[in-house]
Amino acid sequence: MMMPSMTMRNNPTLRILFRNSWTLGVWLLLGALVLWYSTLIPVFGPFQITSITKNSLPLVYLAIGQAIIVIAGGIDLSLGALLLLSNVIAARFMAGQPLPAVVLIALGIIAGLALLNALVGFIITLSGVPDIVVTLATGYIWSGLALWILPSPGGGTAPEMRWLFTGSPSGVGGSYWPPLLMLLIPAALVAIWSRNTQVGLSLYAVGSHKTAAQLAGLNVRQAKIVAYGIGGAMAGLAGLAMVALTGTGDPRFAIGANATLNSVAAVVLGGVALTGGVGNVFGVVATGVILIMLNPILIAMRVDSNNAQVIQGVLIAGVMMFGGLVAFLRERRS
Amino acid sequence: MSSESRVVQGRAGNARSFQRWAAENPLAVLAAVFVVLFLATSAIQPGFFSVSGVRNTLLQAAPLGILAAAQTVLMLTGGIDLSVTMIATGAAYVAANQSPGGAAIAILMGLLVGLIVGSVNGVGVAIFRVNPLIMTLAMSSILLGLFTAWTQTVLAGSTQVAPFIRLLGGGSWMGSVPYSVLVWGGVAIVLIWLLRRSGWGRLIYAIGDNETAARLAGVRVWQVRLSAYMLSGVLSAIAGILLAGRTGAVDLQLAGAFLLPSVAAAVIGGTSIFGGVGGYSGTIIGALILSVLNSLLTFLNVGQAIQQMVYGSIVLALAWGYAGLTRRS
Amino acid sequence: MKCEARCVFKSRNALHAAQLMQAPMNQPQVLLATQGVAKAYGPVVALRGVDMTVRRGEIHALLGANGAGKSTLVKILAGVQPADAGKVYIEGRTVHFHTPADAIAAGIATVFQDPALIPDLTVAHNLRLSRIDEAKFRTSLERFGLGDLDLGALVRELPLETLRIVDLARAMARDPHVLLLDEITAALTADQAERVFDLLTEWRAQGKSAVLITHRLAEVMRICDQATILRDGRNVAELVTAEVDEHQLVEAMLGASVEPLMKTAQGAMASRRLGETALEVRGLTDRHQVRDVSFAVRSGEILGLVALEGQGQDRLFDLLAGARRPVAGEIQVAGKTCHFRSPYDAVQRGVVLVPGDRLIALLPNQSVHHNLALPLFNHLRRWLRIPTDEQPRVQRAIERLSIDVRAASQVRRLSGGNQQKVVLGRWLVSGFRTLLCFDPTRGIDIQTKREIYALLRELAAQGAAIVLYTSELAEISLVCDRVLILHDGRIVDEQDAATATESSLLKAAHGLEVVA
Repeated sequence: MMMPSMTMRNNPTLRILFRNSWTLGVWLLLGALVLWYSTLIPVFGPFQITSITKNSLPLVYLAIGQAIIVIAGGIDLSLGALLLLSNVIAARFMAGQPLPAVVLIALGIIAGLALLNALVGFIITLSGVPDIVVTLATGYIWSGLALWILPSPGGGTAPEMRWLFTGSPSGVGGSYWPPLLMLLIPAALVAIWSRNTQVGLSLYAVGSHKTAAQLAGLNVRQAKIVAYGIGGAMAGLAGLAMVALTGTGDPRFAIGANATLNSVAAVVLGGVALTGGVGNVFGVVATGVILIMLNPILIAMRVDSNNAQVIQGVLIAGVMMFGGLVAFLRERRS
Repeated sequence: MSSESRVVQGRAGNARSFQRWAAENPLAVLAAVFVVLFLATSAIQPGFFSVSGVRNTLLQAAPLGILAAAQTVLMLTGGIDLSVTMIATGAAYVAANQSPGGAAIAILMGLLVGLIVGSVNGVGVAIFRVNPLIMTLAMSSILLGLFTAWTQTVLAGSTQVAPFIRLLGGGSWMGSVPYSVLVWGGVAIVLIWLLRRSGWGRLIYAIGDNETAARLAGVRVWQVRLSAYMLSGVLSAIAGILLAGRTGAVDLQLAGAFLLPSVAAAVIGGTSIFGGVGGYSGTIIGALILSVLNSLLTFLNVGQAIQQMVYGSIVLALAWGYAGLTRRS
Repeated sequence: MKCEARCVFKSRNALHAAQLMQAPMNQPQVLLATQGVAKAYGPVVALRGVDMTVRRGEIHALLGANGAGKSTLVKILAGVQPADAGKVYIEGRTVHFHTPADAIAAGIATVFQDPALIPDLTVAHNLRLSRIDEAKFRTSLERFGLGDLDLGALVRELPLETLRIVDLARAMARDPHVLLLDEITAALTADQAERVFDLLTEWRAQGKSAVLITHRLAEVMRICDQATILRDGRNVAELVTAEVDEHQLVEAMLGASVEPLMKTAQGAMASRRLGETALEVRGLTDRHQVRDVSFAVRSGEILGLVALEGQGQDRLFDLLAGARRPVAGEIQVAGKTCHFRSPYDAVQRGVVLVPGDRLIALLPNQSVHHNLALPLFNHLRRWLRIPTDEQPRVQRAIERLSIDVRAASQVRRLSGGNQQKVVLGRWLVSGFRTLLCFDPTRGIDIQTKREIYALLRELAAQGAAIVLYTSELAEISLVCDRVLILHDGRIVDEQDAATATESSLLKAAHGLEVVA
């Protein structure tokens, strides 16, 4: 009956800020980290901006895809493997091709992976097997497929691809506009789509309360399939970004597994509850960049790379413990 | 429902009653899958159909089975542990490092690593209510960093394990029964007893099935949860020590490949990832199926790519089949 | 199965229905009809064959004791589950529902007991998801005095009674042929229920229909035209409510003439003997909902608690059971001050809770046995063994409560009444001193209700102290010794149960002064 504060209830702007306080918080954190980083190194300029942005692209894409799936009440442990698949297909078939063919291949990869993962979503709704189990299994299948397509690291891509994701045809230096736009445009599209369309909202509905969504006449199965399809498309995009960054394809299982786990970490830190239905894509974009930025910051602080890994782990666990504590205190107060 | 009417119903009735039987005894169906896979492997590799074939399968399955035991307990509570393989590796490292001081110390120190890491996981999940997926994922990352750094410093000494540990991991009792299988058997008996016949087992199922209900009934949920993560840590450490004993030496990739199979074994064995449903006997068969599948794919010599694809497909098919069977009932 | 014969028999009804539908406009027409609808869950048969006919411009009551199959029929009509056999007709056409969306599209809008609204989205988002016109929705809301509802509010922030009205308004905005209302008045205040009735009357005047599922017979008598009564998965009677009284309705539901509830309860009442103070609270205060509550209950006493929906009673029970911590005030158990930090502490002191929503108290996938024995393992020292007397204790509880153990391997397969017994039985197994019982008879059939009341009297006679919140005012005087009335988080009145009347309780519950 009683709301925590009446001002919050009556003032729409305040309410929106309050409801998105976590998203706001992670963006402020990102801003603070960038500022801090700029004082840590002698020169902070376009080169660093380009570098941070382009290096974050694969994880950010993957995390956006994961966020959409988690919001719809699922979780996809095969996203990393799909990234591998996209990466090796691009590396194997793009090198030396004319621009139209490259574009066609890129679009084909995105559409193909979207369909493939939509099929996985369909299998999940059909079989009644938990998402985590199905995607665990399909993760094996996709990494096997990736290994089959490109048995050892190699291949290449077109300069135009590299320019699109890194700002330079050679992948070194270059303008920060292309990667920055490639970061923000897909993120904004997915974020706006998910909060402002009937289908987008139905993902939240299904993740928040599946039974209620069904009883209200929503198509639960369709929502899940769409979510997985988007996840697949984002993984395809992530694989393309990867090939643009490194200039080659790499089918190693561990890369995929790590990417998956990082995407889950980014999603959770970004304020998307693993139970579904809560959070938004914007927060995840910030945490994706933060996770990538930790590396250069720790290097700039001359922290050993193994310790950097420890710090990253402690940070994730620490933030989540803090979140748990806040939730606990809030629950006790109300 | 009388047996007479069943006979009259004829063929369709038989199919249906088989289905019902299968739904009520999913473990028997799983066991049949195992036998079929075993026979298939024997058909490809004639030497496999022998005592040594069985022995090899069990030997391969033991560490996986123990890691999957940790996973089963946690999944029953509605949790999961993605750090089992790093705990195993860490415990193996410590055991190797302590090996010059004797096997007993080495094993104890190894188990202590499992207990400590498990406790930290448990505190994070049970008290700070961090999502188990995230907590153990972060823990895995922390352990990887720590042990990579420590191999150059505090753990720089021995990477060979004591002879007794090697015997435990790779040797056989009277030349026929591997010691690691005996250890696994011991773990299995204790765990099955705990889950079925102890108050603790009841509570594990209870908090996994409905945490609020358990809390309202006066269960101190955090204690149960913490104990489950501690047990999971210790079990992972046991598996790590056995693995180190089998290979004789330790390295950072010692257990890594077992992470996903440990979850898969529990899932195939019918333990629900949402908690409250399942048990360890199913997991044992799940671990056996996965290890015989591994042998099969190795004998087929199809290359890693095809191996991964087939492995994934079979895990999916089994999980799907299990869900289909039990949902009908 | 004797299906062949039954179906032939049924088709006569269908013919009858078809004739009705072809009747001229001024005759009552059949809008919704079911014929031989059957459903089984594994070995448990829920519906054996139901024929129901809802005419245009009619408010139709669907009645039955618990386990009679009402909720199953609702699920089938709402498209939540398919029927195993039988047909559903809308305006004479056969319809097949695979999902709730199908039923909505066919013109059946259902308001379930749990509002089908998405908690993490705003009301406006929810409307958008259902493609509801906001203006139309607002018009309905205004009728309930909720015209100023902020559509930007998250559903989870709104109180239950508001949500039920939002859900109802949404259903009406869908412009269905038939409204299916499952216990619609359960969470509403008397005032709101009144408005629902007004609206339904209008609805009927527009030539539309509604099916009302309810346990409140007074409502049936007041607003419904027809009543279909289910018993044991079949429709056993179709009554015109104007021609019968409540007693006849109950008789039809139970199948035999009912001995009044009174007898059972009063028999036990005669032997009451009050002992020491078992539980005493002083100045108990929660942040928002409970204000300065003080009372004491003695062993052997049943203390009733009466309140309208949402007056802080849930919160008060949570505080007493240790599920939440108070901001101020103290709780004394047997004279000793206690600080409950968790339900464990309360259970240790013998203060145990039977919560209002039985689903939050059950382990759905565990057996009846494991559910009943759960509190036996609360101590660390019980972790490694199972007490030898577990089996007999559980068995005694099952017998004492006469729990139906046919589907005992998983509690979720039991009927609502049996589940409620399991929740209660848990504390018989472990033992307790003070029982906090929150609306234990909500949504439960008369037979089980009677059993539960008799059990409570019996427990009190054996020296237990019981605090009973109930939403059924008529039954307060049968079970309780004393009644406290809670309004806006405060105890506003105390009445002797023997002299309290429904109207005196209701007045006090509305915060009005009662003149003795």
